[in-house]
Amino acid sequence: MTEPQDPFSYPPIDPVNFDLIIVGTALSESVIAAAASAVGKTILHLDPNSFYGSHFASLSLHDLTSYLTSPHSLPSAATAAASSDSDDIVVVDLVHQPLCTDAETATYDESAFLSENSRKFNIDLGGPRALFCADKTIDLLMKSGAAQYLEFKGIDESFVYEANAGLANVPDSRGAIFRDKKLSLKEKNQLMRFFKLVQQHLDDTQEEKIPKEDLEIPFVSFLEKMKLPPKIKSILLYAIAMLDYDQDNNEVCEELLKTKDGIDCLAQYSSSVGRFPNAPGALLYPIYGEGELPQAFCRRAAVKGCIYVLRMPVVSLLMDKVTGSYKGVRLASGQDLYSHQLILDPSFTIPSPLSLSLGDFPSERLQMLSQRDIKGMVARGICITRSSIKPDVSSCSVVYPPRSLYPEQVTSIKALQIGSNLAVCPAGTFILYLSTLCNDADEGKKLLKAAMNALLTLPVSGNSESIPSVQSDSEDIKPIVLWSAFYIQKLIMSKFEFISSTPTPDGNLNYNALLDATEKLFNQMYPNEEFFPKATSPEDPTDEDDNGLTLDS
Amino acid sequence: MARTRNKSLQAKLVLLGDMGAGKTSLVLRFVKGEFSEYQESTIGAAFFTHVLSLNEATVKFDIWDTAGQERYHSLAPMYYRGAAAAIVVYDITSMDSFVRAKKWVREVQRQANSSLTMFLVANKADLEDERKVRYEEGEEYAKENGLSFLETSAKTAQNVNELFYEIAKRLVKANPSRQSGMKLHTRPGETRRGFLCCT
Repeated sequence: MTEPQDPFSYPPIDPVNFDLIIVGTALSESVIAAAASAVGKTILHLDPNSFYGSHFASLSLHDLTSYLTSPHSLPSAATAAASSDSDDIVVVDLVHQPLCTDAETATYDESAFLSENSRKFNIDLGGPRALFCADKTIDLLMKSGAAQYLEFKGIDESFVYEANAGLANVPDSRGAIFRDKKLSLKEKNQLMRFFKLVQQHLDDTQEEKIPKEDLEIPFVSFLEKMKLPPKIKSILLYAIAMLDYDQDNNEVCEELLKTKDGIDCLAQYSSSVGRFPNAPGALLYPIYGEGELPQAFCRRAAVKGCIYVLRMPVVSLLMDKVTGSYKGVRLASGQDLYSHQLILDPSFTIPSPLSLSLGDFPSERLQMLSQRDIKGMVARGICITRSSIKPDVSSCSVVYPPRSLYPEQVTSIKALQIGSNLAVCPAGTFILYLSTLCNDADEGKKLLKAAMNALLTLPVSGNSESIPSVQSDSEDIKPIVLWSAFYIQKLIMSKFEFISSTPTPDGNLNYNALLDATEKLFNQMYPNEEFFPKATSPEDPTDEDDNGLTLDS
Repeated sequence: MARTRNKSLQAKLVLLGDMGAGKTSLVLRFVKGEFSEYQESTIGAAFFTHVLSLNEATVKFDIWDTAGQERYHSLAPMYYRGAAAAIVVYDITSMDSFVRAKKWVREVQRQANSSLTMFLVANKADLEDERKVRYEEGEEYAKENGLSFLETSAKTAQNVNELFYEIAKRLVKANPSRQSGMKLHTRPGETRRGFLCCT
């Protein structure tokens, strides 16, 4: 049950030996639990939280605020009395370092309404997130059988933010290109010519291909070579290829996207549009929030025999005194459990330097785990509003390309608005998610606040009556923010022999990179096993025809 | 005479209750007409569909079993989402399972939608000699909390079909609405209208 429960009141976990123990129920951990269960591994899946999803959860407004603002620490290992202290085992205490830091939340208006309706919100902790209709997440959901537990709705429209011009549609079909009033006839023809070339390149029956040498040059250079104007270039690079860094700025963009990869991005976007008859655009969103995805994979794992225990912190690792190899874990309840392999949520680490009391223990074995690789940060923002950023549009994605907000903006900002036609917020409200990559918290928050101010209005006081309607560049009234949150998530990766750490939420809109890293981790752990073999059990979808997918409403 | 089926209803039904109360046995008795004395903990199949034809409508049940996630009180919110009906099961030979059933009732009331049809089911009614929970206790608790109550035996099939028929009738009457999205299915033939296509 999800009501708070004292882990010490749980019956002891039985059995005590497993092939794999997983700590944390974020998306990567949940996918691995489902994949390893599917190939017959015995798994114990634990989470110190009272909810599924870890840093990919969807939470009520109250729970989200608590999660962001109250520090999470593990129970002291001293309170976890050892159930099997022995001479050949060394107990190494774990430290929990929250992935979400520098959090600030504010309620501007309607606090009574928000409080009363807290449970009607399912707010994503790792937003903005959506699935491209043709990306590998969809394929994995189908292949694993997790799709049967989920329902989706299409994101209505995609926009790109243009400096001094507001929101412009991202063209999703040839018809849309010709209907777009913001594109000149010349721009439309240039774009159509470009798409025709890409289409011919992707079509195996066509002779005309993009020259090999062009495929290896930066995509941005290829677009210039094609004489595409800056506006079109911006849409292709940031709203369709979804690139993070300013491709025209070599100082900040360490790795420019190659043309061949840019073409792949275009192909994915194009095949996402209209893939499903009931989804208008390229993107899908689970109707109860992104937190449903890890839950679906956890259910797949449970059906295959994986044991689930929430509210159960792991406080220590059990290591072999002589070899320094991993043996098992100690729970907050004091119980010791053993497994061949361990996967740790990336928020867990080993204190460095290790305490000297470990004596002869070969502590260099643990250095890789305590020296975590921090690859950067993602700044995330969430706003609750009473009206849409675009009249008559309930759910939409927005990309702010580099330099669209101010000259020093070197990263793109991704945003996703979800309305109450999905079960994530009360009727008449909207949630806007924003994220951007950054090097420090201040820079990240500055970017997000600039993005927020471009489309929304922050009330001057607690009384919204006194606020004049603010006109945006496109003459639409800007929605007023009722509540907002800003926080930073560190991008961390660590690996140590039998102990693996899953990737943290990245700055991407979709899950492709994350799932690639997850599959790679699974293959490292189980090189002889297939990542989700063809479904065979009665619970699994047994539809023989895999030619295509439809969305049933 | 052929029955006129003027309505078709699809309803998600969730099973709740402690491990060993007989949740899976009840469903297997209803869906497959089977009973196993030594039913394994629910692994391998925790999702069943079954169609009931009533005079006034056809009800297609999507029945969700717990997949063992109730063992350490770790059922996911997803389990309750969009449920039109819930069956909370306890074992008449275990007072502890009855006490826990009350907690499950509270959990359903907290997690699921307010219009949900809920049945409290006292299972293993064939074990009268080992009874620890009186019929009246279950009935009284159900009445106090606005639940329907039945005693069943998955072993003898007592009241099992009646339980599901009664739920189906209530659902047809209530005609519950819920926020629904689209499900992914493997089907041939896809629509295409991307900018790299000819349309």
